Amino acid sequence: MKLLFLTMILAGPATFASVATAGDLPRHPDELTFRELVFEPPAPEQFRHELSNGVPVYMIESTEFPLVTITFSFKGGAYMEPGGKAGLAGMTGAMMRQGGTADLSPSEFDEEADFLAANISASVGPTTSSASINTLTANLDRAMELFLDMVREPGFDERRLEVLRSQQLENIRTRDDNGIQIALRELAFLMWGPDHFEARQPTRASLESITTDDMRAFHARIFHPGNLMIAVSGDIDPDAMLAMLEQKLSGWEAGEPAPSIPAPTASPEPGVYYYEKDQNQVQVLIAHRGIARDDPDAVPVQVMNDILGGSGFTSRITNRVRTQEGLAYTAGSAFSNRIEYPGLFMSYFFTKTPTTALATRLVFDEIATIQRQAVGTEELETIQNSLIETFPRNFESKSAMMNLFLSDERTGRDPSYWRNYRDMVRSVSPDDVQRVANEHLRPDKAVILIVGPWDEIKQGNVDSEADPSRVATMDEFGQARRIPTRDPETLEPSR
Amino acid sequence: MRKPFSLAAFGMLLATGPALAQQVEPIEFTLDNGMKFLLLQRDEQPNVITAGWITPAGSTNERPGITGISHMLEHLLFKGSDTIGTSDPEQDRDFRERLTEIRRQMRTMVFEVQYPRFFRGEIDNPWMPSNDTPELRELRARMTQLQDEQRAITVQNEFDRIYTGEGASGMNAGTGHDFTIYYINLPSNKLELWTWMESDRLLDPSFRELDAERFVVVEERRQRLEATPTGILDERFDAMFWVASAYSWPVIGWMSDLMAYTEDEIVEYFETHYQPANLTGVIVGDFNPDEARQLIESYFGRLENKRPPPDPVVTYEVPLRGELRFSGECDCQDRVEVRYRAVPAGHPDGPALDVLADLLNGRTGRLYRSLIEDQGLASSARASNRMQRSVGSFSFFANPRGGAALTDLEQAWYEQVERLKSEPVGERELQKVKNQAAADSFRQLSDNANLFFQLAIYEAWVGWEELNEYPRRIQEVTPEDIMRVAQTYLVDDNKGVALYTRRQAGERPMITLEDVEASLPEEIREMIMSQFRGQLAELAAETDIEKLRESSEQLRQQASAMPPQFKTMFDFVQQEIDRRIAEIEGGAE
Repeated sequence: MKLLFLTMILAGPATFASVATAGDLPRHPDELTFRELVFEPPAPEQFRHELSNGVPVYMIESTEFPLVTITFSFKGGAYMEPGGKAGLAGMTGAMMRQGGTADLSPSEFDEEADFLAANISASVGPTTSSASINTLTANLDRAMELFLDMVREPGFDERRLEVLRSQQLENIRTRDDNGIQIALRELAFLMWGPDHFEARQPTRASLESITTDDMRAFHARIFHPGNLMIAVSGDIDPDAMLAMLEQKLSGWEAGEPAPSIPAPTASPEPGVYYYEKDQNQVQVLIAHRGIARDDPDAVPVQVMNDILGGSGFTSRITNRVRTQEGLAYTAGSAFSNRIEYPGLFMSYFFTKTPTTALATRLVFDEIATIQRQAVGTEELETIQNSLIETFPRNFESKSAMMNLFLSDERTGRDPSYWRNYRDMVRSVSPDDVQRVANEHLRPDKAVILIVGPWDEIKQGNVDSEADPSRVATMDEFGQARRIPTRDPETLEPSR
Repeated sequence: MRKPFSLAAFGMLLATGPALAQQVEPIEFTLDNGMKFLLLQRDEQPNVITAGWITPAGSTNERPGITGISHMLEHLLFKGSDTIGTSDPEQDRDFRERLTEIRRQMRTMVFEVQYPRFFRGEIDNPWMPSNDTPELRELRARMTQLQDEQRAITVQNEFDRIYTGEGASGMNAGTGHDFTIYYINLPSNKLELWTWMESDRLLDPSFRELDAERFVVVEERRQRLEATPTGILDERFDAMFWVASAYSWPVIGWMSDLMAYTEDEIVEYFETHYQPANLTGVIVGDFNPDEARQLIESYFGRLENKRPPPDPVVTYEVPLRGELRFSGECDCQDRVEVRYRAVPAGHPDGPALDVLADLLNGRTGRLYRSLIEDQGLASSARASNRMQRSVGSFSFFANPRGGAALTDLEQAWYEQVERLKSEPVGERELQKVKNQAAADSFRQLSDNANLFFQLAIYEAWVGWEELNEYPRRIQEVTPEDIMRVAQTYLVDDNKGVALYTRRQAGERPMITLEDVEASLPEEIREMIMSQFRGQLAELAAETDIEKLRESSEQLRQQASAMPPQFKTMFDFVQQEIDRRIAEIEGGAE
């Protein structure tokens, strides 16, 4: 059986035959024609219900497998952590699932959930929190009871907390082992400011200070019907599901709605920053503040960034840094938009020490080119077609579609957004691309963050590059600032 | 439309009702040239398909000197053909020939000159451009120049561009020890594009941009392995654990081999392992199978088998017959792994070993309960049963908590092993694991891409039918089976133990003023120290952060020119300036 492929009969040229001969086939994919595929995005209203306490429920049926997925999504997250308690949000989410409930000890709860083969989870994210369950339909009733007990009355068992705390302490002790992790942390400090929740990091002191009382108080502020929205998909009877939710949620009091999400106030000074680490590959992040999700330029910016570095091999930074020059395996750019305030633009690559400066130069070259020269129509159309043709994938998985509608409602996305999305993409012109490239790419404001052995990085490829036009040192990017190496446990400078 | 799955009760009783087993029923056919296809319709995800193909060739089909060539070829198969990726195939061929010649000359020079220099310890790496001799440097410059010229007729990344412009996404490929798989997601109406593009690259691939791609793969090796906390030690432990077989070298290849591949070696590997009779195509999703079959026959039917079938992998693994111990330091958490030789895919003991791992894992598993919760020895612990085409291994991993020693964890594991060998597992404990396996057997089928991978990889190893058989075999595992496999495989002369400890050297201790004093030559000590104390006082009073940064940078630049007797003092100044900068920055927050 293992040697299946060796027992196959080898077809020699004499037996080679097929329906069409090669001559009949189109010589280039340009000559292929495809039947039209019509797709209209489903309207969220079709799937929306509301419980008597005002909680919205997005629900869709699927009978392929005898499984049900239910997600409870709550407003509120790490941005609500009290001062000195960095790490509380993540630990509260983890402890909800690990710490038992008011009625069941942690091991009783876990044992029953596992025996029912129900996947139950809870988490507190930066701005939203969630709890979800995936269970066999046959076990829905009991699994749902366990799930709701966890959501409403988690036990926060003390012994389990100590296990979790020891794991978290181990994680922070070793957090400088990984260069990418260092780069993202230091970039967040620079871009958002160390006190903004997007940058905040747990320390030994903050983790050691967290108590089960802190968790109970934090849980109570987030996990209540005032912050709740529900998504359901799978093998369900919609009416019965609504009735069950109605009944199981009755008597659950809404608390204060989660406060609004604070905008950052930091304004990083542009320039080169480095963090010393002995490694043979260097992480480089080039970043500045970007745009908010609902920015009127959001779609043209997406198109522009896909041309620049956001669409894999098809995009310019990847093509230049990786394919042409062989300087990196990973290279590209992204706009990560935030809902409440402008997000980040970031270009990134990982390269060997001596070619850090050359690759940095190439990224800035590509930024300058897209600002200076109008993009060709063929390149633009490739990206537009890609966004239009992949559009249906947003709605491909039923559970993902319900979660999309739910998050759109929570964040107040313009209801016509998906309906108009493809037209907005189509209408982006070469001029628009150039305009948003000039407006939203700001090399003059860029922070260049480098993690690696600085003395070698700085000298560039003087010793190794045979072609003078490719010789680059870090001098061309101006004065570099050293970020003092931190003690991983306290994040204070270590020496 | 055929229903892709049928649900069949198979009689095992759960606490809550009968377990169900999915039956995946793809349409199966083989072209005259021997290329096999599996087509699975599934309309749960409308308008999209996942399509791809697999060859059962991977790094175990390599030999020393060309390790990693399966993966290198995987990268080069995205470079196109005579039609895709170049505007002038003839000139392109001419460029490639000239580059091949330069590469041949450089290779000879590296072997004849740089390898001996490397063996004598004169250079740290025979392939690195920074160690080039003047002759090599000149050849390298000519190579760069030729590559730049070739660029004028190269349509870069056209293969990806065409797919992207037609709405394909997630284009990628993966190389393993014993398979290489290529795949993409497409809108349903673009099936003909897939048959065109894939048959074109199989018919007539062009391995252009080989040297730039070689360096991309070198960066991939650094990113995945060398610049990760445990990558290098993991690689070395594998090399020790597998004694005779080709599983001993890394899929990505040794650095020397990555630098050395020739185009001829790559072409030979391609022509041997990518013949149609060695390939299986798989399509999953929302499409018309009759139409698909026609397209497949027209396009993939063009492919020919040009060589005899690939040689079998002759060398099989030999038993360990003794315990291996490996220890090393890394920038990582302390970790112990105890790894046993186990069984390959398709072996009848596979399901019992999988169930055994499941009994140990998770928060209700034995490892969490015992090592983490009751004994407080570990911060994490898990077991894993890994089955490949011709070998398998069973591992226990744990990270210590608090002051626990790695050997304490190792002992705690052996106690678990003894229990598994001597006590039958309880009925409820076993049923819990089986219930989870039954539910997971659905979960893993609820996505086109997951289905695609399982069909393709099972087919490359033991036949796709295993996808339907396996969940059934899990349900048949008995407590006696588990005791028997523990007794058979989890034994001392069948194992390797890897102990990783955290490297301490990276954290340099603070230098004190006393250290500085002691490091200075006696005859000038007094004089220097009195001056030095004054400078330190100035430094402590300095508030201009820019000025501090400037001096820090200046010092750094002078570092290499510093006479050795002043090194400690110099490092101390550097340390104090950094501390002062941090102080000022800290205060400003």
